[in-house]
Amino acid sequence: MRESADALVLLLAGGIGSRLNLLVEHRAKPAVPFGGIYRIIDFSLSNVMNSGLTRVGVLTQYKPLSLMAHIGNGSAWDFTGRTRGIKILPPRTGERDSDWYKGTADAIRQNIDFILANPSEQVVVLSGDHIYRMDFDAMLSYHQHKRADVTIGMMVVPKRDIHQFGSGIIDNENRIIDWEEKPKVPRTNLASMGIYVFDTQYLLRTLAQDRKEVDFGMDIIPRAIHEDRVYAYPFYGYWRDVGTIQSYWETNMDIIRENSGISPEEWEIRPNPEYGDRPMDRAPARFLPGSKVASSLISAGCVIEGTVINSVLSPGVRVKKGAVVTNAVVFEDGIIEERAVVDLAVLDKRVQVGAGAVVGHGENLALANKQFPKHLYTGISLVGKEARIPKGTRIGRNCIVSFGYNDDAFSGQNTLADGESA
Amino acid sequence: MILAGGRVDELGVLTHYRPKSAVPFGGFARVIDFPLSNLLHSGIERIAILSQYRSYSLINHIGTGAAWDMIGRNRGISILPPFKDYENPHWYRGSADAVYQNIDYMQYYGPSVILILSGDHIYQMDYRKMIRYHKEHDADLTAAFIKVPLESASRFGVAEIADDFEDGGRMLSYEEKPAEPKGRWASLTVFCFRPSVLFEALKKNQENTSYEFGRDIIPMLMRQKCKVHGYKFRGYWGYTRTIDEYWQTSMDLLGPEPKIDLEAWGIRTNLAHRNIADRQPVKIGVHGSLDNSMAYNGCIIEGTVRNSILFPGVHVMAGAEINDSILFFDNIVHEGVQLNRMVSDVNTVFNRDVRVGAAECEKASRVSVIGWNNNVPEGFRIGCGCRVAPRIAAEKWPANRLEDGEELQ
Repeated sequence: MRESADALVLLLAGGIGSRLNLLVEHRAKPAVPFGGIYRIIDFSLSNVMNSGLTRVGVLTQYKPLSLMAHIGNGSAWDFTGRTRGIKILPPRTGERDSDWYKGTADAIRQNIDFILANPSEQVVVLSGDHIYRMDFDAMLSYHQHKRADVTIGMMVVPKRDIHQFGSGIIDNENRIIDWEEKPKVPRTNLASMGIYVFDTQYLLRTLAQDRKEVDFGMDIIPRAIHEDRVYAYPFYGYWRDVGTIQSYWETNMDIIRENSGISPEEWEIRPNPEYGDRPMDRAPARFLPGSKVASSLISAGCVIEGTVINSVLSPGVRVKKGAVVTNAVVFEDGIIEERAVVDLAVLDKRVQVGAGAVVGHGENLALANKQFPKHLYTGISLVGKEARIPKGTRIGRNCIVSFGYNDDAFSGQNTLADGESA
Repeated sequence: MILAGGRVDELGVLTHYRPKSAVPFGGFARVIDFPLSNLLHSGIERIAILSQYRSYSLINHIGTGAAWDMIGRNRGISILPPFKDYENPHWYRGSADAVYQNIDYMQYYGPSVILILSGDHIYQMDYRKMIRYHKEHDADLTAAFIKVPLESASRFGVAEIADDFEDGGRMLSYEEKPAEPKGRWASLTVFCFRPSVLFEALKKNQENTSYEFGRDIIPMLMRQKCKVHGYKFRGYWGYTRTIDEYWQTSMDLLGPEPKIDLEAWGIRTNLAHRNIADRQPVKIGVHGSLDNSMAYNGCIIEGTVRNSILFPGVHVMAGAEINDSILFFDNIVHEGVQLNRMVSDVNTVFNRDVRVGAAECEKASRVSVIGWNNNVPEGFRIGCGCRVAPRIAAEKWPANRLEDGEELQ
């Protein structure tokens, strides 16, 4: 039974997440596979479900098809029923604006009709691209207890990282008295998680004030802290914005690592088992004689004949005899042929690594990708969906092999040097 | 019409609380998933399950039938429990009686063929081929058979089948569990009937005092000179009637080219049952190892697992060792435990240093079985071929051991 009255949830799932490079070439960031059987948005949706909230609007914008298919009718998160529901809210042409969402506040403003059609005391605004567990019911109680107009989920981050966040200065009642959006010089280590609880009437009033205020962090909150009651809701658990390849990879590895603080099953995170190229009822994972697996996460439908260490395998991955997969994240139905080696890499769906091929060759982790030096610079190589790495090929570090790559001769070379793209 | 009514005494503790057809099999599925998946792949869309023994587990498992695509405008699956009315005060008195009591269900849909299956077997079969054979030869009854060694034939319904065609022929004789079998073709309990013939035979058999397809209906049709054919099935057929057979058949899931290939067979199960869709991928720790084994999502492996099958949620702690065993959902295996040649039902906890079985057991019946929700005390020894009933109270466990073949109730 829910403690607080039914709040309406608006989930912002429109972000491009372009630093995830080819993982978001064909899907929105919230729809990127994570942790073997999940998608990033499953964490937010499950948190909503586990908080007892039942009405959700998902604001989409960028490449929404994969996301829409994944959400389906929402039954995976118990959003189907007479009074329950999840609605996809795509951008629409307004009377005057024919533009896409200009910011978080603009996105909510363009969906005021949805808020009005679903009467509520509070509106919870979330982002769909973070990995964490949080009880929004407790946050709503806190919000009511503080008689706040706005409550913002905030957590402590290292000071050197504060420039990526909205940051707030609080008094000893947790009321936010000053606000800086992405400050160059940190004055505090308290960062906004992009999670807001608004009193519904307050939200409607504040959005009506000035249509030029398009972003919560940039425009609305800095004004509100001077005029209204804005509180910080402190959060102490595990939280990651998996917005870069490095953090995406590390967060996957955290599931394997002991005591890292993330555990999807204990957090009751629910995937959608019906979505995908085929339903998830695959046979149990098989570990054949001679295989070796340690410190890994192996999904149903995998068949392991070779070696897998420190890796996360989605359903249906096959690792053949003599193949070695280390420090890798492999999406659905990847095939690692005999004697192939995959090290420090993320392989999108249905990638085939030919016999004896190497992905992640050599020791030069420091030479960043030439095309995307800000995306790949720690040694991780990326292989796009359905790419085929010919047998015997060597792919270096910080390399990118694009979606559907299928060139037997590999342009006459059998090597892709560190930092190159194919 | 799926016959899923019974429990099987020889399976003992595994069927205390569920019918045979709902017994877990294959690391994530139930026995009945095999015929249901066969039906799905055969495109048969109107199904009834006749169930009367402890139905809840089965009802829960079938759910809406969506797992096998049996929900839709013209598709459906119904569980038909026994009932009482003006004429009939009985439980299902046998397979033929169960089907007879639901004659109105069959007549309502007016099918051209009625397929009667047992829900108890592990096999892959395209029923369309058999139905095609049945129609091609305009048979009143076509029954499926498989060739078995002569010495084990007496456990089954045994037929002699003429070599009329490559995939079958007229049935020349049929005997139910004969002491001295005349042939080697054993019945699979897969029957394809002409509805009018079936209805009449069932009605007539009501005067009898036995109500079984094998014992009563087939011999009756043979006596009446009906057109009865045997269909020769040449695929894999797994027996699971005793614990040893269940264990042996399960072992056919393992190896590089398993005889039971769940993936190739396209076995579907209800992922909502025991929430198996919600389990995270198998987590293997730094020192965990699995050799020639199978494990489903939700397992955590920190110890050593060899030649074994682990259902969702089994937790094998560091320093535990599991050999040649089958562990159902959510077993917990503590440090220092050694399990050999055993089957353990759901939610059982093996506390530190428990031993079950031995690498080599002398007696023929050597597989031990432990019922569900047991908490095996620290350091306890269980021999080979032992049986432990479900939910043994803490004070009922003997001091420190169960000898080979002993039972604990």
